[in-house]
Formats: sequence, C-alpha cells, structure tokens
Amino acid sequence: MNGPIRRVAIGVFLCLSLLLAGVTWYQVVRADELRADPRNPRPALAERGKERGLIVTTDGTVLARSVEDPTTRSFDREYPEGESFAHLVGYSSFLVGSTGLEDAYASVLRSRRDLTISDLVAALLGQDLRPQSIEVTVDAELQRAAAQALGANRGAIVALDPSTGAVLASVSNPSFDPELLLGDDAASQWELLLADDAEPTRDRATLELYAPGSTFKTVVATAALDTGTAGPGTTFDDPVEFDLPGSDATIANANGGVCNDGVSATMLQAFVRSCNTIFADLAIQLGAVDIGISAEAMGFNQDIGYEWPVPDAVWDTGSLIDDPAALGQSGIGERDVRATPLHMAMVAAAVANDGVAVRPYAVGRIFDADGNSVEETEPSELGRAMSLETATTLTQMMERVVTEGTGRQAAVPGVRVAGKTGTATGTSEFPNPWFIGFAPVDDPTIAIAVFIEGSATSGESASGGSSAAPIASQLIEVWLSP
Amino acid sequence: MGRTSEGATIVAASLLAAFAVALVNFAQGAGVDAQTGLTFLVFLITFGTLYAAVRAFAPRATPLLIPPVVALVGLGFFEIYRLSPELAGLQRWWMLIAAAVASLVLFLLSKGTTSVLRRYRNVILIVTVGLLLLPNLPSGWGFPLKGLEVNGSRLWIVLDLGITQMQFQPAELAKLGMVIFFSAYLADHQKALREAHRRIGPIRLPEPRQLIPLILAWGGSIFILVWQRDLGASLLMFAGFVLLLYAATGSAGYLVAGGLMTLTGAAAAASMFDHVQRRMVAWLAPFEHYQDEGYQIAQGIFALGTGSLSGSGPGLGRPDLIPNAATDFIFAAVGEEIGFAGTVAVLAIYALVVAVGLGISFRSRDTFRKLLAAGLTFVMAVQVFLIIGGVLRIVPLTGITLPFMSYGGSALVGNLVLVALLLRISHEEST
Repeated sequence: MNGPIRRVAIGVFLCLSLLLAGVTWYQVVRADELRADPRNPRPALAERGKERGLIVTTDGTVLARSVEDPTTRSFDREYPEGESFAHLVGYSSFLVGSTGLEDAYASVLRSRRDLTISDLVAALLGQDLRPQSIEVTVDAELQRAAAQALGANRGAIVALDPSTGAVLASVSNPSFDPELLLGDDAASQWELLLADDAEPTRDRATLELYAPGSTFKTVVATAALDTGTAGPGTTFDDPVEFDLPGSDATIANANGGVCNDGVSATMLQAFVRSCNTIFADLAIQLGAVDIGISAEAMGFNQDIGYEWPVPDAVWDTGSLIDDPAALGQSGIGERDVRATPLHMAMVAAAVANDGVAVRPYAVGRIFDADGNSVEETEPSELGRAMSLETATTLTQMMERVVTEGTGRQAAVPGVRVAGKTGTATGTSEFPNPWFIGFAPVDDPTIAIAVFIEGSATSGESASGGSSAAPIASQLIEVWLSP
Repeated sequence: MGRTSEGATIVAASLLAAFAVALVNFAQGAGVDAQTGLTFLVFLITFGTLYAAVRAFAPRATPLLIPPVVALVGLGFFEIYRLSPELAGLQRWWMLIAAAVASLVLFLLSKGTTSVLRRYRNVILIVTVGLLLLPNLPSGWGFPLKGLEVNGSRLWIVLDLGITQMQFQPAELAKLGMVIFFSAYLADHQKALREAHRRIGPIRLPEPRQLIPLILAWGGSIFILVWQRDLGASLLMFAGFVLLLYAATGSAGYLVAGGLMTLTGAAAAASMFDHVQRRMVAWLAPFEHYQDEGYQIAQGIFALGTGSLSGSGPGLGRPDLIPNAATDFIFAAVGEEIGFAGTVAVLAIYALVVAVGLGISFRSRDTFRKLLAAGLTFVMAVQVFLIIGGVLRIVPLTGITLPFMSYGGSALVGNLVLVALLLRISHEEST
C-alpha cells in the first residue's frame, strides 16, 4: 500500500512545487510590473496619510501643512492659501500624482519613519526621521496681489529678486483648489479640471513657452550694444513697412505708421516706441549668430536649473542663419522664438543686476522639525549676460519706455521703473500682452514679467502697454510699499 | 528531535507570533502592548496544552508535527491581527477551544486506540451526515440552533444563546468524519476491492456491489454540499475519497475516473450555478473584469507583486484592500507583508507538515491507521493546494480556508483535531 501512497505523495509535492512556481511568478518575475500597474493603488496609498513637512514663506505664511486626524492617526494635507499658490506649491495626491514644490521636494518633505532599509539604518545612526520642511522665498502678499491682478485673465506673473534670483511671486491663472485633488474623488475632480477650456492645471508661469513678442527687443538691443553694431543714437531708415529680404512679406509697426518722422529714427526711439520695422532691420544687420550669443548668455537654449525641470527658451540660430526673413520676424520676438514668463523675468533681472544673469530659485531654506536649518540655498549666477556698460545703457533705454514710451502705464509715482512691453501676435487668435521690467532703477529689488494669454477676456485690442504694464505698476507698488 | 527540543521550538514559534504582533503595533505607531503579551500567552497555553496532552496520552508520537503547526498558526495570526484586532481576539478564543478539543480527542483515544474509530465507522458516518445537514436548519425558527446563509452558500450554523452567538462551519469537522469513515471502510473491504474486479479494456474495476456503500456515502455528502453550494468542501471530500481509494487498491483507474468525474462535476456546477460561473470568469480573466468578478483575485495578485521579495513589513502593506483577506486570501495578505521570503517559508512549512503526516502513514503497519494517516494528510494537502492555487490562479478559487492560517474557529478546531489524530496514530505505530 505504501506504493500508491508514495505516488500520491509525489503528486502532492509536485503540486506544492507548482505553488512555489506561482509565488515566484508573481513576487519575483512580475513584481515590478504589478507594483507599477496603474490599477494597483498600493504605492500611492503608502504615501497617503503620512506626515509631510511644512511649506512656508519667509514671513511665516503657511502654504502647506499636514494635520493629524486624532481618531485615525493619519495626516491630511492642507493648502491654506489655496488657488493663488496652487501651481508653485503644487500638490501630492495619491490618485493623480504630484506637482510643483510638493513633487520637487518630495524626498525632503516625506516622513522617513518606517519606509526603507536605508531609513532604518539612518534611524540607528541617530538621524532625525521626522519630515523636513521648506521655506520659500515668495512674498505672500505680492503673490496674492499678483493672482488678484490677473483677475479673469489667463496668464502668468513671475517676480524675482534681481540680485539673487529668488522668486518673489510665481502665479498662473486661472488656478484651482489643490485640496480637491487629495480626496477619494480626486480622479473625477481631475477630469473636471482637464475638461475646463481655460486649462487651470497648466502652470503658465514656468512650464509653458510663449512667443515673447517685443520684450525680446531687450535681447536684440543687448546684442547690438555688446557687439557695438548700434548704440542708442544710431539711426535707421524709418519706412512704413519693412520689406523682409528674400520674401514678399513685410513687417509693420503696431500703430500702422512710421516710427519717427518717416525718414530716420534712432535705436532709442525705436526701442521706446517698440518699432518693429527698425528692430527687424537691426536683427538682420546683427545676424542670427550674434543675437544667439546674447540670447544664450541670458539662458536661451539651455537648462536654467529651476526647482523643477522647465522647458528651455528657444532661439534657433541654425535655422535663422540663412533665412533673413525669418530672422527679421524673430528679431521682434515672433516666429519661433519662445520663452516662459519665468525666463523673461530672468532677462529683466539680468539687466537690473548689472548684466549678470542669476539662476531663479524658490526654496531658500530646508529646515528640520525643530526649525534648524539643514540647507540654505546659495544664490548662483548663470553668467554674465551683457557687459556692465550695456546693462547701464539698456536700463536707461528701458526707463525711457516707462517714462515716455509704450510702457507709460507701468509707472509708479515716486519710483523709477524700467521696462519693456510686448504684444505677441504670432500664435493665437488674440494678442498676448507682455511686460518685463524692474524697479527701482538705481537699486533694483524686483524684476517682473507679466504675461497675459490672449483670450476673449483680454480682447482683440489688448497690448502689453495697456494690459500688462498697469499690472506691473500695481505689483511694484505693492512690493515697494512699506 | 526529542520532546524537550519540541517544547523549546513551540516556545520559539510562539515568540515569533508575539514578535510579529509587536511589529504590527510598531507599524501603526503603537509599541509593545497587552496584545503582544496576550498573544504570546495564548499561544503558550494553546500549544502547551496540546504538548502536555501528547506527553500524557501519546508520549511516543513524533515531535516533528506540532512545531511547524505552531509556526503556521502564528504566521496566520499576526496577519489576522493586522487586518482586524477584533477577529484576532476571537481567533485567540478559538485557539484555546481548539486546543481543548484536540487534547480531549487525545485523551479519549488513549482509553482505547484509534481502532475504536474503525469499529464505530457507521456511527461516525451518520454523525458526519448529520453535521453536514445542520446548516439546512431553518434560519428563523425558535430553536437556538439555526442555519445561516452567507454569500449564497449555506454552510454555517449559529448557536444562538440569546446573550451570545457562536457560528460554526460543520463541514470543517465533517471532512474528518468522512476521512475516518472512508479509511475504515476501505480497510475492511480492501482485500475484496483489490481482488474482485472486472476488466473493461485495460482498466480494472472492482465488482459494482463492493462500491455501492462508498458511492452512496460519497453521493450523499456531495448532494448535501451542492445543495448547500459549498463547492470547495465538496471538491475536497471527493478528492480525499479518490486518493484514499487509489491508496487502498493501487488501481490507477480510480484516479482517471475520479479526475473525469471532477471535471464533469465542475462543468455541471459552472452551468448550474451563477456563483460558480463568476468564479470561472474571475479565474480566467481577473484583470479584464477588474471592477467586479476579478477584483478579489486581482487585488490578491497586486498584493503579492507589491510585496515582492521582502514584503512591506508587518502592518505596513495594504492587505485590507483584498476582500476576505483574513479567510480565503490570508496567503496573499501574508505575501504582501512578509514577501516572497514569507510565502516560500509558508510553503516549506506545509511541505514539512505533509512529509511528517505521510511519514506516519508509511511507518504504520495497521491498514486502517495507514489509510487514516494518509487520508488526513491528503485532505489537508489538497485544501492547501486548492486555496493557495486559487489565489495564484492555478485553479479556480473555491473559497475554502487555508489550514491553520485562515481566520475561522471551526477550521482551527477541525485542523487541530486532525493533528491530534495524526499524533495518536504516530504514537500507536511507534514501538
């Protein structure tokens, strides 16, 4: 009888081996795939309910905090400042992922209790496993004012400390309440946000590229001054329309007329009045390479190393070398030239900072649960964007824009403001108004870029001077008011 | 291994259970509390009682069986505790009850020998059939013993004493009764079954009249189980019966016939019952039916995959996302929290228990005891294969408990009695 029992026993052990093969299949061979399956809620749930660090401003305004539920002992994330800070702070949602600083500083903000072997080792070494917090350089009052100033307009505002690159405000409008994305219905809330034509979840301040329009004339003027091709007093022909070489197309001025007297105009006059005819002419005279050198010195075509990966601003020297018509259009910030509002704020900051471009950053300090600094951000330079002399001259030119040119509405009583307007028409049905500038001129403490994405709200006749410059004026006043 | 090291191993396995409970507490932010101590204490009392009963009533029994069983109960227990401290509290009571019942069985059998079971096989059969019929008692009548329907299957009875209710699944004990009856019957008729047979082509079949009582017993229990819609137990008993028949006669024809009957039965059940159909869908395409039929199996597989090599750690995974994690899916829950390392260990311990059980059978000289030891081990092994295989999508999910590990009082009582019977046989057969 042992014979048959032995044979059944062999069968039983074969079955057990089959089970062993089964667990090997799911827990070893396919483990990574199963863990990453979007239907598997475990990896995201593991982060949910855990304490995360604070996100606060330098003056102590709380932007994100974790509040413990006394009954479940799990933590709920709160964003007390809501929509105004939604794109900068971002969110950390177990269902729809994470964005902004919540995403970029996830490894700092997370609690390191009981997660990994390396955390265990850290605990044994006596390290503090409580979540660390971050202090952002943003001025809460300025940020709120910026969000309010955009009102119903789509657009973005970025303000920087020109000498350090610290972000003073970074707003994208329209916005959304990030707390909507934390609950169990986050997926359906997310679908609702995606279905909104105004695209409230897009971060227009740092993640979207737009044609910079005439604000790009600061870059072309920089190239002219740095190379000595032209100075403020250099005169150009002043036609009603500038014929683009090698094509039938022409470039006209925004007002449809001549820039000065129909005979000649200086570069200063062309800059102050934002004359397209003359800057197209100047761009072609400079050539794609020289403009490219100045543009790249201001961070175009390269990673500027922001808090999270941002798209590179675009100046395509290669395709413009043999295409003077396209070069003429590019010289006024149209065609394929692209930059984020963050990048254009950085350009204004480079002029304000005596020609040295600084890397923008939003987090000034990482501190532990006891409030002690763990790491402080050292401001870093991107490099010299222009000579000191050029910066001085360009500042004077930009100040004239505000005192007597297209940017008059950016003026602030009692404050010397420098700036440049832009009204990009290239890509959309409605014009996209811009203003970049800085103040006070003698010792700049703020550089700003205001961008309005053309829509039915902003209208067909909106321009940088009429729509964006007043907002800049308002915010500079808020910033400089005691 | 002697009795002393057996005792030491039992204490070590109990410590393991208490340690795992402490880890679950730590994971949830608490520390070592009363639960840890209580768990250690209950494990010591439960298996200390069983150990003492073995020393008193079956002193020559193998010392290799209880320690792996303690480890399995411990691994299951910490996961039950992690899923629901309330269930774990109930499970502790059931452990104490199961140890008492198993010790009582050892005591009673020491008054005679296991051959008593053989002598009273017909009484056991009647009691077994009675047990199986109990859940069909009306649910609403005044008598304190009531039947209960859960998830479309009628396999529970409730003892309603007014102040408290006790629920019990009689099939868990009935499977032992069936194995005892089959073993006794086959031992009595072994010679006739082996020698009197007809040839139909290459297959040898016994004289039909030799099989009539067996087919009646089998048909009766299967009928009740299909009536109660408990597919798992039905399959388990039939598989146990066929394997014993093969063990007793050595005729491979029984295995072939049994296999065909199982497939026919499964096909019939799938066409007759909605809930069996849903299980076939869940088995074949769980991810295509993720939102409904396949959800449980898909969650079980996600749990295992997320657990990966070392697991999330006790208390740190999300096995609570799996429906019925503490009963049918305890293996996936354990796999999520202690990983591949843990599931391999669990399978290895089951292999050890099966090997010890079959070793007892191999060494038995008495036919009845040989068949009984083999039958008990087979039934347990088949149950392990059916439920873990169900979780791993090797076979359709049949909804039975994982021996020693799943939450469930009746299962624990039944399986510790099974262990007691194996221990007693081991004692009687070692000289």
